[in-house]
Amino acid sequence: MLAARTAAPEGSFRNRIASLSLATRAFAASLVLAAIVAAVFAVLVLASSNLRAATKREARAKDVTVETLGLEKLVLDIETGVRGFVLTDNERFLESYRQARRNLPAQLATLRRLAASSPGQAQRARALEDEINAYISDYAAPLIQIARENPPAARAPLAFVEGKRRLDLIRGRFTDFLKAEDTEATASANAANRRAQHAIGLGIGGLVLSAGLIVGFGLYLARSIRRPLEEVAQGAGRIAAGDLSLRLDEEGPGEIGALTRSFNVMAEGLQRNRSELEAQNKKLRESERLKSELVSIVSHELRTPLTSVLGFTSMLVHRDDVDEASRRQYLEIVDSQTRRLSALVDRFLDLQRIEEGRLELASEPVDLAVILREQGLLYVGPSERHRLRVRLEDEPLEVVGDPERLSQVVGNLLSNAVKYSPDGGDVEIDAARHDGFVRVHVRDQGIGIPESHRPKIFTKFHRGDAGATGISGTGLGLAITRDVVEAHGGRIDFVSTPGKGSTFWFELPVGDGEAPGEEMRGG
Amino acid sequence: MRRTLICALTGAVVVAGTAAAARGLSGPGTIRITSREVANTRVDVGNKGLSAGDLDIIRERLFNTRITPKAIGHAELVCTYTIKTSRSCQGTFFLPKGKIVVGGPIYFHQLYELAVIGGTGLYDNVRGSVTVTATSSKPRREVIVFRLTV
Repeated sequence: MLAARTAAPEGSFRNRIASLSLATRAFAASLVLAAIVAAVFAVLVLASSNLRAATKREARAKDVTVETLGLEKLVLDIETGVRGFVLTDNERFLESYRQARRNLPAQLATLRRLAASSPGQAQRARALEDEINAYISDYAAPLIQIARENPPAARAPLAFVEGKRRLDLIRGRFTDFLKAEDTEATASANAANRRAQHAIGLGIGGLVLSAGLIVGFGLYLARSIRRPLEEVAQGAGRIAAGDLSLRLDEEGPGEIGALTRSFNVMAEGLQRNRSELEAQNKKLRESERLKSELVSIVSHELRTPLTSVLGFTSMLVHRDDVDEASRRQYLEIVDSQTRRLSALVDRFLDLQRIEEGRLELASEPVDLAVILREQGLLYVGPSERHRLRVRLEDEPLEVVGDPERLSQVVGNLLSNAVKYSPDGGDVEIDAARHDGFVRVHVRDQGIGIPESHRPKIFTKFHRGDAGATGISGTGLGLAITRDVVEAHGGRIDFVSTPGKGSTFWFELPVGDGEAPGEEMRGG
Repeated sequence: MRRTLICALTGAVVVAGTAAAARGLSGPGTIRITSREVANTRVDVGNKGLSAGDLDIIRERLFNTRITPKAIGHAELVCTYTIKTSRSCQGTFFLPKGKIVVGGPIYFHQLYELAVIGGTGLYDNVRGSVTVTATSSKPRREVIVFRLTV
């Protein structure tokens, strides 16, 4: 079943047979067997009927023989009576003659009735009756009369010779009649026996054929069911062992085909579910990893400013020898670290809002050029090792969006440009309209992004090798930046050369100068 | 075979026809007919009363009542008394398809047998015997059975 088979032409007889269910096949086989058994039974019934008819024919032959012998006796009684009377002139002898003549019509009628079913015998019976009647009317009755009138004439040899002639003729008729009856009965019995023999032969043949068909169909059913079931059982074992790629050949009669098809559907379902589970497991592991990383990052990012805040506030509380300049410096540090903590918390909150779809964006005309200049001065201006280069068109670069979030986007990109170029260098900002979009580039001359980290650069908490190199950060900036840009209907990407720097760019649809009148919702 | 011939013969005595009469019998057979005497004339020859040489001249009508109630022919016999009541007779039966000639002695007129000594037509050159049995006396009726050979 697992092996590939040559497919028969569509709609062929073999296909039609193969599409029949086991129940249909069993029903068809039952019909064939029933037809055979019925045919055998019909033949046996016919043979039995023939035997019964032959038995009846034989019984009739016996009846005919009995009646014929009775008739013959009556004739002999007539002859005896006539002869006795002629020889003795004693009327007593005529009693048997008269009795026989009285019984004769009924006996003849009985014989006629028995012989009526056979045309030949009916004809012989008529001839016999004619002969007997002629014997009586032409010989016996006249001879009695002659004997009364002229006894010597009745006793003349001629009278006896004539009587013998006629009786011989009648006896011959009797003999012929009985012989013919016997012949017909024998022929009927022989024919019935032959038919019975044939019927028995056919019956035996039919029974053998039926038995063969039953055994053959049983073997066929066993083969049709056993082999596929074994393969299904083996397949189930393999699936239980983890081989979910197993598929069974779906050929087979009705129910077997349905079973193998269901098996394959089950295997496909199991395989799909396992793939989904593996994917979910992978996501869970990744989530667990990210969570661990988050805890680590948060701990690290929170601990550093907290340490500074705790250290300087403790110093201010416990030491009295801090001069005014130092105190102010310490308080500025505390303020800076506190703001850093606040910004960190804000990022976490932003990320949570984005993931929950609760990031609400204002929708108003924004001149990106203004934001770019402000954020450039804010993030790059304070750095002594970086030079800010801004190349913008004179006209406004208007888009529609949330100015604070767009400032956050630009600030993140500039902050990264400064952080990831520790040796300093130029940080360039340029922006221009292009095909209905305002595209902004932020270019640095920093460490660049290794090829292996690029696919995950916008993933939350992904920081690449930054943690190892001591560059602070949460790994959330670019993730939030991408979500904000996409929430504004834009897109963001980057190009980078390790050791030479990176260029991040984003583009937003050009605004038409009017606010849409409703807020955008991100996430 | 015998019955077939009887049927053929009994049929033959009814159907007239010279063409058929030209054919002869092809085998033995029996003809059964009856007769009714229509004339019996005695010719007293010699001594007065019944004596040798007297003649009985008999004429009969022949019937086959199984086929038709009408007469199918007639017979003429001439009997010559020989000793006492014994007669020597000769006669001719005129049947539809031919004549049968008989002859021989008669001892009892109630039951006698004569030889068939020849014939014409269908019965050309036949042989055999004829047995005559009287069934009544007034009028005299007889059953006549020809047993013919070829």
